[in-house]
Amino acid sequence: MRTIKMLFAVSLFFLASFSQELSFAQDELSASDIIAKSRLAFYYAGDDMKARVRMELINKNGQKRIRELTMLRKDDQDGGQPSSAEASEGRQKYFMYFYQPADVKDMTFMVTKYTDQDADRWLFIPAIDLVKRIAANDKFSSFVGSDFTYEDVSGRNPAEDTHTFLRNDKLNGKDCFVVESIPKQPSEYAKRISWIDATNFLPLKEEFYDKQNELYRQFEAGEIKEIDGISTIIQRVVKNLKSGHRTEVSFEEIKYNLGIEDDVFSERYLRRPPLQWIK
Amino acid sequence: MDKVEVKIIFMVFMFSIAFWGVREATAAGPEFHGFMEFAYGPKVSDDHTKRDDFNLLEQRLQLKTKYLFEGDGFFARKNSSLNFKGDFTVDEYFFGKTDFELRELNLSTTLVDWFDLKAGRQILTWGTGDYLFINDLFPKDYVSFFIGRDDEYLKKPSDALKMSFYPSLANVDFVISTFESNTTAKGDRLSFFDSFQGGIAGVNSDRDLLEPPLQLSNLEYALRTYRNLGSHEAAFYYFRGFDKNPTSYQDEAARQLFYPRLDIYGTSLRGPAASGIGNIEFGYTNSREDSNGNNRLIANSLFKVLTGYEKDLGNDFKIGLQYFYEQTLDYGQYKESLLPTDFVFDESRHLLTQRITKLYKNQTVSITLFNFYSPSNKDGYVRPMVSYHVSDQWKATLGANLPWGEDDLTEFGQMKRNKNVYVRFR
Repeated sequence: MRTIKMLFAVSLFFLASFSQELSFAQDELSASDIIAKSRLAFYYAGDDMKARVRMELINKNGQKRIRELTMLRKDDQDGGQPSSAEASEGRQKYFMYFYQPADVKDMTFMVTKYTDQDADRWLFIPAIDLVKRIAANDKFSSFVGSDFTYEDVSGRNPAEDTHTFLRNDKLNGKDCFVVESIPKQPSEYAKRISWIDATNFLPLKEEFYDKQNELYRQFEAGEIKEIDGISTIIQRVVKNLKSGHRTEVSFEEIKYNLGIEDDVFSERYLRRPPLQWIK
Repeated sequence: MDKVEVKIIFMVFMFSIAFWGVREATAAGPEFHGFMEFAYGPKVSDDHTKRDDFNLLEQRLQLKTKYLFEGDGFFARKNSSLNFKGDFTVDEYFFGKTDFELRELNLSTTLVDWFDLKAGRQILTWGTGDYLFINDLFPKDYVSFFIGRDDEYLKKPSDALKMSFYPSLANVDFVISTFESNTTAKGDRLSFFDSFQGGIAGVNSDRDLLEPPLQLSNLEYALRTYRNLGSHEAAFYYFRGFDKNPTSYQDEAARQLFYPRLDIYGTSLRGPAASGIGNIEFGYTNSREDSNGNNRLIANSLFKVLTGYEKDLGNDFKIGLQYFYEQTLDYGQYKESLLPTDFVFDESRHLLTQRITKLYKNQTVSITLFNFYSPSNKDGYVRPMVSYHVSDQWKATLGANLPWGEDDLTEFGQMKRNKNVYVRFR
């Protein structure tokens, strides 16, 4: 009897460890960990980054508007763990220089993003030599008229949502984690569902649902390339399913870890764009 | 030194820096950008200006280009660019008069790590107000503002040397420029209060505005020191030059007005406040030719303060509020020095402004309402505007300029017969 008990215990043990082997990594990673890792992979890749960004804003009749800019990003600190509450954690600086359309050509835009307070935003309008401070408490405002919100551009603090692991899935042949995120405070969306690549943690698809549980906005990643050893989404599209408007974005001339100096992110260069980066 | 001589020396100095750069710029064809615009602003009231039925009817072509130095020449190594912007206009208000305004022609360069230089014609702006200026004494065009041209034309270019220093403690901008007056109503296009005519005047106004002659001692100096304190920005300002408006009398019998010398000392702070952006700015204006205030012909010293708040309410809806206060110093001396026939201006002025902006249809439609209201002057100025970006290339704008006031001599009250509605296509 004793032996049987022993055998049973041992087999249980093996069974347990076996089943652990079989399962995906979500057993080791909580849903929050997945979202946090995804945020790091998507918004904090490298220590800094430069890209030429081309956005096509397309309305339901197929009419196109173009936004073209160079974006510089520098991380003061990486995104860190979602539980950590250090004030400076996850701080990033963005600098954008616009080429198109004609009425915003040569404008520059600068953002200091914090995870625990509103971002600081400055806009420089060269025609009147004016540095304008932009009120930034609405993270869901459209970025330059596109379907991307400011939050889409610079990321959302994972601690603002409650995350639940839904399932493993395959999207275009890639293994994904599917995670549901519900905002803790009332937000633009009531529910977000993310498909996150199980190997590089890039978000492949995100669906945004409103209070009526209707899908109203959708993000999809297109081509993904290895750049300087970092998996990078170089094409993406956001669709507004209610208005029929969509925005297609391509990133070109991407480079990481360029050693962009801190002082580029200052009023000096806002007024006088850093030519070595925007030529 | 002779006026023409100094003018030549200053211009040659400034533009030679710019053209030194041009020499290095290779023959690579510059890429021009710009726009064409048609603007029409009918009005209703007959105010004895040149035309009764409109105060804006013009076509405009703006061209701009920028040359970025390349290769291993001096300017290329110094991160330099040459900037040009000019406007060709055909102004039907003046019976089809054609004009060219050079708005920018300057060389911008980083001579040393901590030192930038911008030499030539340029637009200059600083300070924290929205359509209100305390420490920004760079020239403005209020005629453009009141007839409904784009905001860009509120700012007039300066011929200037702008030096910017970046030591670690704070940033410093130092500007040396020649005098350029504000463009204000003078009766031909916009009617205004003319004390010589004893009321609102149009083409009957025959004032003689005497600008300070161009000589070394009449150069203007503007200084700004600024730095960030966390998310806030603090700045100190100093200006030594001339009033940009002809506020003072040279010779009453000859109807001569002039631009008195003044110094301005100021400071400002801007940054996040109550989940929006707050700002506050002070300025003390010392009227150097009448610093004790007992010359009735010359404007007195002033104290000015402005505070503002802007908030983003979500859904592309923004609201901005400002309060501005201006006090004439030594008012007792001013009152005592007046003659019985003189017009009496108030000691202080309170001004409130409000800006509401709402964007629709993926930010292609913009509705703005800007409102000036002065409870002390009992006047105001309403500026509604709707613009629609038909595409990246086409933009239509519809707006109105509605100044009003109980009295004829207040800032907006004197403009009340210039109300117009305007359309612009570009």
